[in-house]
Amino acid sequence: MNRKYLGQKGGGGVKQVDLLLLAKHGIILVSFIATSVATGDRAEGADYSFGDGTSKNEACMSCHGNQAKVSGLNYVNPKNFGHTTHAKFGCVTCHDSITSNHPDAKAVVRTTGCGDCHGETLSQYSASIHAKNATCSGCHNPHRVNSSSEIAATEMNKQCAVCHDNYKITASHSRWLPQTGLHLGAIACVTCHSKAENYVISIYIAKRDGAEPESKPNLVTYEDLLKYSDGDNIQYLIDRNRDNYISLDELRKFNRDPSNKNIYLKAMMTPVKPTHSFQTFDNRWDCTFCHASGPEIMQVSYLSFPQQNGTFRQVAVEKGAAMDALRAIPNFYLMGSTRNGVLNKIGLLIIAGGMVMPVGHGFLRFLSRKNRL
Amino acid sequence: MSEKKVYLQPVPVRIWHWLNALGIVTLCISGAQIRFPEYVAIFSSYRSAILLHNTAGIVVALSFSIWFFYYKIVAGNLADIYIPKKSDLTTGLFRQVVFYFFAYFFGAPNPHHATPENKFNPLQKSAYLGIMFVLMPIVSLSGILLMNVGPMREIVLLIGGLKILVAIHFLSCCSLSAFILTHVYLATLGSTPMAYLKPMWTGWEKVEDVKGACHENKQSYQQN
Repeated sequence: MNRKYLGQKGGGGVKQVDLLLLAKHGIILVSFIATSVATGDRAEGADYSFGDGTSKNEACMSCHGNQAKVSGLNYVNPKNFGHTTHAKFGCVTCHDSITSNHPDAKAVVRTTGCGDCHGETLSQYSASIHAKNATCSGCHNPHRVNSSSEIAATEMNKQCAVCHDNYKITASHSRWLPQTGLHLGAIACVTCHSKAENYVISIYIAKRDGAEPESKPNLVTYEDLLKYSDGDNIQYLIDRNRDNYISLDELRKFNRDPSNKNIYLKAMMTPVKPTHSFQTFDNRWDCTFCHASGPEIMQVSYLSFPQQNGTFRQVAVEKGAAMDALRAIPNFYLMGSTRNGVLNKIGLLIIAGGMVMPVGHGFLRFLSRKNRL
Repeated sequence: MSEKKVYLQPVPVRIWHWLNALGIVTLCISGAQIRFPEYVAIFSSYRSAILLHNTAGIVVALSFSIWFFYYKIVAGNLADIYIPKKSDLTTGLFRQVVFYFFAYFFGAPNPHHATPENKFNPLQKSAYLGIMFVLMPIVSLSGILLMNVGPMREIVLLIGGLKILVAIHFLSCCSLSAFILTHVYLATLGSTPMAYLKPMWTGWEKVEDVKGACHENKQSYQQN
């Protein structure tokens, strides 16, 4: 399924950039680099890389990527910023009023708005009930945005939890939602509270320490998994045949492996394409919206592996992982919708076995009724 | 036909039995809606089906406690009533199977006569032992875990996950349903279709003496 335009943290994921805007800033960029590269400072962080525009942000980051030189909001963490699409466009794409005598001239450093690129998302958001509560930067830090495929499903809710206190959310949902903690741990907020057309089962690896609540599982980190893989690529912990595709059999093997007893697979139902049309839909009060949605929509899933830079990478999983009877994702069960067909048939056979006496014996009883008069 | 009555089913047993019956039927219907919501929509909403299922589950678990408490503590004969004796296993089971699947069709009387001390025939004893000591605890405990997945998560993980728990719950429910179909049918196999059912409601069972209907049946069987 195409998840290219997912943008839970990164906004609507509108990747078209106004070329004119880029050309305009290109001129400023060249003159800016020419004046400040001479300082020779390097930004911190071993994995410091700006992808396509390798060197174009280095001048800025020589100061803004160094906490010793700048503070507060002026500091940009190179590790979080380096891999973002925003970094590829370059600092001055947004900070377009910067001049060559920065930092001496205290100019307004940003005149470009999010809507210049993310126009569609902005208009979608502006029409939603959430618009009066926060601006774009209220939720998204443009220097550490991730697309929704770059985060684990459970992190989707972290963004909401910055303002919406977990305790209060649990309390308000528990007024009508049975097993509230379980629900909040298995569904992204945006699954119910934003318009989406289709859903996917997003799997991630959680860590057991026995103390974390069901609604806030402990995500396993890259470093944790390295210990399990003995330094090998952590994806091969599950993807044993190394084909960048996870079969149900590989999932079962991972779950059965006793050495994995402190890590386990968790899953959430998330929108395939999250939108910024936030609202509370009336049909989400009705449990059957999810629970009677049928096994067909529960077929597609992804597994998110943590990466060294703090993001996640999705790997496609064989169809039907959520439907597997016992072992593929043993801890994800959506009553009514992820019922297993094989178990249904076994159950039916057992009940049919219970009909042997009433039907078989009853028939002979009828035929032999005269013997008991 | 001379008749005498025996007090077979005391009040706590009857309360347990009918609470159980009502509870299990409710659980089966609401459970069907919970698992197959697209096809079964007996209760107005999915939420009400779940709330009813949970409530009925608690009622059945409590009535199970009544059963256990009565037989174990008050009457003190739980083992005598439910655990088959050696003779039950060596000859009793065979005799009862022959009756149900052969002799019954020729009008022979039931070789077992219920008394308060020995209520169940060997086949019943074995079946009830499995139902009450294996199936009911499995279905109830898996149900209690499913109602409390969050707080009891460590136990759920120990079992192997939510899916395994659901599979255990579902398959044991199907087994219980199969038992109930058989149980209800066998309950009609008395001298009249209601003969076994009445004592479960009133407590008293009619015992026909040797000159009664059973004896006549036996004679007709022998003539055959």
